Formats: sequence, structure tokens, C-alpha cells
Amino acid sequence: MSHMRTFEDYLWQTTNRCPGKTAIVCGDAEMTYARLWECIQARADQLRTEGLGPGMPRAIRAGQTAGFLVEYLATHLAGGVAMPMEHDIPDERLHEWEDLAARADIPDGTADILFTTGTTGKSKGVMISHEAIVANAENLMDAQGFSPGLTFIICGPLNHIGSLSKVYPTLMCGSTLHITSGMKDLSAFFAAFDRPGGSGKFATFLVPAGLRMLMTLGGGKLEACADAIDFIETGAAPLGQSDMERLCRLLPKTRLYNTYASTETGIICTHDFNGKKCVAGCLGKPMKHSEIFITEEGTVACRGKTLMSGYVGDPELTAAVLRDGILFTRDNGAIDEEGMLRLGGRADDVINVGGFKVAPSEVEDAAMSMPDIEDCVCIPLYHPVAGQVPKLLVVTTAGSVFDKKKIARFLHEKLETYKVPAAYEETDRIHRTYNGKIDRGYYRAHAK
Amino acid sequence: MKNEIRSMLEEALPLVDFDSDFLFAELDSLGVTTILMLLAEHYDIRLDHRDATPKNLKNLDSIAALVKSKLKEQP
Repeated sequence: MSHMRTFEDYLWQTTNRCPGKTAIVCGDAEMTYARLWECIQARADQLRTEGLGPGMPRAIRAGQTAGFLVEYLATHLAGGVAMPMEHDIPDERLHEWEDLAARADIPDGTADILFTTGTTGKSKGVMISHEAIVANAENLMDAQGFSPGLTFIICGPLNHIGSLSKVYPTLMCGSTLHITSGMKDLSAFFAAFDRPGGSGKFATFLVPAGLRMLMTLGGGKLEACADAIDFIETGAAPLGQSDMERLCRLLPKTRLYNTYASTETGIICTHDFNGKKCVAGCLGKPMKHSEIFITEEGTVACRGKTLMSGYVGDPELTAAVLRDGILFTRDNGAIDEEGMLRLGGRADDVINVGGFKVAPSEVEDAAMSMPDIEDCVCIPLYHPVAGQVPKLLVVTTAGSVFDKKKIARFLHEKLETYKVPAAYEETDRIHRTYNGKIDRGYYRAHAK
Repeated sequence: MKNEIRSMLEEALPLVDFDSDFLFAELDSLGVTTILMLLAEHYDIRLDHRDATPKNLKNLDSIAALVKSKLKEQP
């Protein structure tokens, strides 16, 4: 691999530029750039000794800790391919992914395999190159104004592109990353603004569900912090017009970015909706390493350095979405008169739970393995915070009693927590088409 | 009140064990927000992020106590 291509090369440069500066804050602990680099190097040496070599995949359970970032970056430095997984992924599924990745043909230059849900029901391992990571970082630094004086507060899971992609520009430009354990403890989130010795200038990424939590439970405190918040980025799920306008009122001087990104495409477009063109679904113009166009079917297609290299172990699925350097998404969209992307929902049945994508068929497959269930369908249900949550309609087998807690616990053993339906209803039959497939059109038409 | 809260929260969060004495640890951010929003709406009380503490959300008894104290504060 040629010099200066990886994120770790840039991190080394930053470390030389400002070794004593705080790179990571997590809880009460702080780590300078020099210490961070020392830890990454030591762990990379250890991983090499343990047998990790170039191109070898390594699964890591993601946590909201500096330790996870050290593991992740050391894997890269040792030449391995990092596979950050949900912290609560069942062991069986983790081992399945490890086995698949170990057998798969992983292209040279692959840095990560990130996991996401697609339309087909199975989770997919998305291969991301070192080049894509650097391009994502440069897109964000250029378009959103990351600066050395900034503290970026991480609130979302670090195995998800939304939060992981902010690690890169933050550490590349020498700012400080403040990792919180999420939005569960909003007081801890707000405490990040009051850290002694803090920069006084903050930014964060929040999915729309997180923003709604902040506005609903912490609106007053958010307003009090307004002058210190340089920018907030959101994405991964639609943000409603009323939420956008409320945020603009609460934070009149803050840049508020709505971003078009996905694990497969990388970070593509972004738009500051505070002050001008505050329109739901407007995602702005492509960033420096990206291009977009709309296909004849009206869906969004992307080109550029941030795109994935493919799905691990699934060349057929890769070919179905990635052809001639163009990634074809299932997002419906249009480009307006100013060249800005306008998104109009998805052309599939994926349920978006606060930015986490859930394929109904994956939930249904898991539910159908329960002896008590004769038939079922998973549909989206409106949720005031998450936007959508999965709901399972169930036909029980003869003699079985409908017990939603039992079903939920059964599913939790097979699926990540966010995929487990939040609501259950017993029904007489599941509507199917003439060839036996679930009639999703019927359920869309009757959605509440 | 405790049974009323239990039935309301179990309906919304079927995965959560409301008999637990470590309820806060079992909840994610969506769970915490859902509980506070449901209680605020049902009992017409004001709840914010300062109420989302491990002590207040330790178990069903502490949640009921939180609601009672908020109801007392109401004009």
C-alpha cells in the first residue's frame, strides 16, 4: 500500500503536530494524541504477534469506549480488517460472520467490514477501503468545517457509520473526541459541555430519534448550550419538518446539517438547513469526493471514492447494486433546480428504527422458527421518538397461547435488540399474494 | 398505581423485565425516553432529562414514587 493512504497515516501526522493535545475523552478519563498512538502501536504489535496479518478479518464487539477505538485502529495498523459488531450481537451470529469473512475474498486495501441490513432480509457485511475512510473524512472536513478547536461528542454506537465516520475528521484535524455512552443518560451528554478545560466549541451527530429525545426531555438545557454548539449533523432516517423548525428555533446560530449517507455509499451529500432552505427531505449537494444522479426508476445512484468495495462473501449481491463504479441505492429521490438532492422515501420495505435498518423478512424468518407461530408478518409502526418500530402480526399454531413476552424473548435470542418488534398483535391470517408471498402492498395500504 | 404503570410500560416495552431491581441497566435510550414520555402523557406531569436517573428508574416502585412526587408538585 502506498504511503499516506490510510487514516492511521493521518493520525500519525496529527500526533506529531499536537502530541500533548487531548484526543479522546471518555467518562473521567482523557487520552492525549501521543498516548493514543502509543496504545494503538502497542496493541498492533501484540495483534501481529498473535497472528493477525494483512487482509485478515477481526471481529470486535463495539463499545462506547476509548479501548474500542484502540482495538479498531490497532487492527488497521497491524494490516487487519476490522469488523466492528453490535455490542449485544448473539455469539452464534458473531461466529457466523467470522467464518464467512475468513472464507471470503477480501480485496486489498480493505479496512473495515461494517454490518447493515438490506432488503433481502439477511444482514450484509459491507467492505470499506482505507481510501473510502479518508475520502469520507475529507468530505466532512471540507463541507462541515471541522476545526482543531472543536470537541465532537459521540452519542451513537461506534460500529455504525453515522458515529464511526465522525472519528476520522475529528482526529485527522486534531480536535477532541468526547465519547458518551449514548442518549440514555442525557445528563451525561450535557455534562460533556461543562468539562473543565473543554474547548467551548462543540459538535455532534444525532439520528432524528436522538434529536427528538433531546428536544423532548432536554429542550431547556439544549437552549442554554446553544452558543457552544458549533454544528449538529443528523441523518440515517427522515427528520420531519416540524422537528427541523423546532431545532432552528432552539439553536439559531448553530449549523444544522442533514446528511445523505449509508454504509454502502459513504458520506455523500450534506445541507445546513438552519437559516436557508429548511425543507424536509433536502439533503444538499454532493461533497468533494462524491457525485449523485437519479436513475430512470427515480432512485438515487452514487459515484466516488467513498463507495463500498462490495458485500463480503456475496459477489452476486454486490453486482446487483455496484456496477461500473456506480452504487445504485433503493432510495427514491430527485435533484432540484439548485442541484440539491431531495429524498422521497425508500423503494423497499425496510423499517428504519431511529437510523437502524430492519428488514421485515429477517424478523419474520426468525419468528417462523418458533413452534408457537403458524404465520406472521413484520410491519412498521409509527413511534413518536424512533420514527418507526417493527410490529409483528402473528397467527399462532393450534393449541398455542399468544404470549408476546415469550415471542419477544425468543426473538431476542436470535436478533439484535433493535430488530426485536416493540409491538405484537394476534391475527386470524396473514394476507399473501397468489404465489404465497406476503402481500406487503396490502399492509402498506392499511398501515397506521 | 404501580400495577397501572406496569401494564402501560409492559405494553410499550415487551422485552423489558419490570420485576427487575436493575431496570435502568436493562433500558436503552429509547426505553428511557418511552417511559418518561408515557408517564408524562398519562399522568399529565412534567418530566425531563434530570428525572432519567438510575435511582428513579431502578424498579417499578421507584418509578411509581417518581410519579407520586411529581403529582404532588403540580399546582
